[in-house]
Amino acid sequence: MLPADLGRWKRLSAVPLAAAVVAVLVVPGPDRVAASPPAGLECRTAADNAFDLTATGGYAAMPDGNTIYMWSYASGGGEFQLPGPTLCVTSGTKVTVVLHNSLPEPTSITFPGQAQVLADGRPAQPETDAAGTLTSLTTTAAANSGAVTYTFTAGPPGTYLYQSGTDVQKQVQMGLYGALVVRPAGHPDRENDRADSAFDPDHEYLYLLGEIDPDLHLAVERRRAYDFTRYKARYFTINGRSMPDTIAPNHAEWLPAQPYGALIHIRPYDPVGNPKPALIRYLNAGSVAYPFHPHGSDEQLIARDGRPAQGPAGQDLSFSNFLIDVSPGQTVDTLMIWKDAEHWDPQGNPIPVPLPSLQDQIVGPGPETWFAENPYLGGTPGELPPGVVQNNQCGEYYHVAHSHALEQATNYGASFGGMMTLIRIDPPAGCPA
Amino acid sequence: MTDPVRQGSISRRALLAGLTGLGTWAVLPESGSDAQPRRPAALLPRAVPNPTASLHLAATDGWVSMPQGSPPISPFWPDPLAPAGSDLYVFGFRDVTGLSATEVTGQRGKAQITAPLLGFDQETDIKIKLTNLGLSQRPDLVDGHTVHWHGFRNAIPLFDGVPELSISVPIGREFTYFYRPHDAGTYMYHCHFEDVEHVQMGMTGIVYVRPAQNSGTADVPPGRYVYNDGDGSTRYDREFALMLTEVWAEAHYRDAHIQTTDWTDYKPSFFAFNGRCYPDTLAPNGDPLSQAAGRLRYQPISSLITANAGERVLLRLANLGYRNHTLTVDGVDLLVVGKDAALLRGRDGSAEYQVTSTVQIGPGESRDVILTAPEPGTYLLYDRDLTSLANAGGGRGGQLTEIRISPPGTLPAQTRANA
Repeated sequence: MLPADLGRWKRLSAVPLAAAVVAVLVVPGPDRVAASPPAGLECRTAADNAFDLTATGGYAAMPDGNTIYMWSYASGGGEFQLPGPTLCVTSGTKVTVVLHNSLPEPTSITFPGQAQVLADGRPAQPETDAAGTLTSLTTTAAANSGAVTYTFTAGPPGTYLYQSGTDVQKQVQMGLYGALVVRPAGHPDRENDRADSAFDPDHEYLYLLGEIDPDLHLAVERRRAYDFTRYKARYFTINGRSMPDTIAPNHAEWLPAQPYGALIHIRPYDPVGNPKPALIRYLNAGSVAYPFHPHGSDEQLIARDGRPAQGPAGQDLSFSNFLIDVSPGQTVDTLMIWKDAEHWDPQGNPIPVPLPSLQDQIVGPGPETWFAENPYLGGTPGELPPGVVQNNQCGEYYHVAHSHALEQATNYGASFGGMMTLIRIDPPAGCPA
Repeated sequence: MTDPVRQGSISRRALLAGLTGLGTWAVLPESGSDAQPRRPAALLPRAVPNPTASLHLAATDGWVSMPQGSPPISPFWPDPLAPAGSDLYVFGFRDVTGLSATEVTGQRGKAQITAPLLGFDQETDIKIKLTNLGLSQRPDLVDGHTVHWHGFRNAIPLFDGVPELSISVPIGREFTYFYRPHDAGTYMYHCHFEDVEHVQMGMTGIVYVRPAQNSGTADVPPGRYVYNDGDGSTRYDREFALMLTEVWAEAHYRDAHIQTTDWTDYKPSFFAFNGRCYPDTLAPNGDPLSQAAGRLRYQPISSLITANAGERVLLRLANLGYRNHTLTVDGVDLLVVGKDAALLRGRDGSAEYQVTSTVQIGPGESRDVILTAPEPGTYLLYDRDLTSLANAGGGRGGQLTEIRISPPGTLPAQTRANA
């Protein structure tokens, strides 16, 4: 529900000196990001939790060769990237986000799940025009080089979206979204304050899910009108990429504006050598639910929307899933492992069925495969038909993870694409370089 | 993770975790699963061999029938190429176990939807041979087929059925999949070759795993349970599996007529339980090898639910459509005990069962729901997404079936699911 007198906030916030003073005091320091991990969640952190984001336009590449005009966030004065940088902060700390707007219309950021967000030192509020019509869900930065400074105290540990609050139907679809990761104080290797949310910090992953209607993006690029009743998503993305780009490394040079990969890269569970699960943070920046299906392993749902799956007395109310149905605007965090259940071994414990000869199987289909033509984990890759590219390196296993609304697991209708990525399982000793 | 702010503390913490982590991580079930009691990982030679099960599935195309009298979707449905008594082109699986090679070949062009309902005991060594019979209507296509046991935990790629990550079966060839299920519950299986097409075309079925607890433990007597619950709370008397799918008639037509489809235009026209739309859902089980079922010959699985008053009825619900569906039964409480072949119970044993009137099932999800049969009479089980209660946009149809309750002692014990 909106306050009765929305215009009043605008009138008040336009004048006072106090707001300007606060804004000066919280000029952020430079934020930074570590040397990029080849796969996995890449945090942008700042010593004083002060981040600079610039809403701007750029281009995203789709696997079928299409190029889509997007709006998203550049970090500080850096390059446009889709999605916006993954901001990592610690629960209970004060966070500052300065939004610079280089778009031709007002924009803003909402921080769902964060309480008492201030904009230029005042409570962030919906905006209306002179007629009282809602123009933004929260305080905006003006078009063409306006700015606004949001401050809040980071809420409970977990995973949150940040996204445009202005002309949301268009701006969020255009790509103005990113992830905010709030870590529990003192326990950066836990998803939340519970001990049973611990994960392997070397195996933390981000699945920021979205979709693209190219007609809308073309209309915005050419500053034409767009009829939302004709909305039809054709591309479905994880971290702004579609399969097979999702399995490319972070900062792949051929995807300059889409820096975040989505390949899960783990080794088999081992009670001594590899006891901790991977953590996957799902976020839905789209407008429909994305039913996400990881093959080869269930995932334990431990939190939604920054709230642990627990009862009033701290009971564990997490549960096991082979399908994680993420609602629009929702975040879901899961723990996952893959266990070598049968320990197949060509000498002592061979698989009980024959692997067909090459002429009795279809390899691919298409010009490449991820199967070693050897069923054993770590086995030597076998022969392939001429012309087929072997993506397998050392007999590692690959499982797929994808939306099971299967039209979303396509690139404009072409299968083995879209909202899909791979889970790579290396042999216990790892994969020799 | 290489966040420099956290890096130092993580390193120290990782050391601590090395000392204390094991106790913590012992609470995570071994497969990230449902905390069911289970046998340790396979150690060969096995002292006692597992029971075995063998099955032979054939994959091909065929023709089925949507409810008669539904409004035509010109020119897509009824399909003018359809043989008499049918109106929709499909791909599907058939159970050809025990048939001769000649008989198996004779099933080419005789696919069924949905696929045969499969049930196995936990810790059974299962071999499923898949033969690709090709597509009689589309001899120009050389599509492979696979079996993907959807949700099977800790699968190895060769038996997971994703062509790009393993292999697929060419026309005229076969491959045998091996499974040793350790986790009870309700799963699905489907072809994963060009999945958006083959799943929509009908290559979808339910497979479920009966828990080891069924043979009795120190805590519970022998019986029928959904899970290894340890307390008998998932006991049931009768079970009915409902596979929810959607049929986009236009895409089926295009496949039959050598045209391509943009799958992002997806717009389903029929909504089915077990490959049938109401009122066909009520017809008895059929047999594709027998003409007795008439126009539903290749849609052999009934969705009619029958029970005696007071009995516990298990609904195994799975959705391989591309839309969410929400099932409801007016006036009857639904107890949800499982999701995705996992008992709804926290890692510390906390109960998570839910009593509800609506069960929402997303694409690729399953639910295990127990209801207690009320007073004798007829009750309706249907999709509360009311647009899914139409056939081709018209009339009363779609995902709707009846629950017919008889006085206590009327029906004999159930001998197989959906009967």
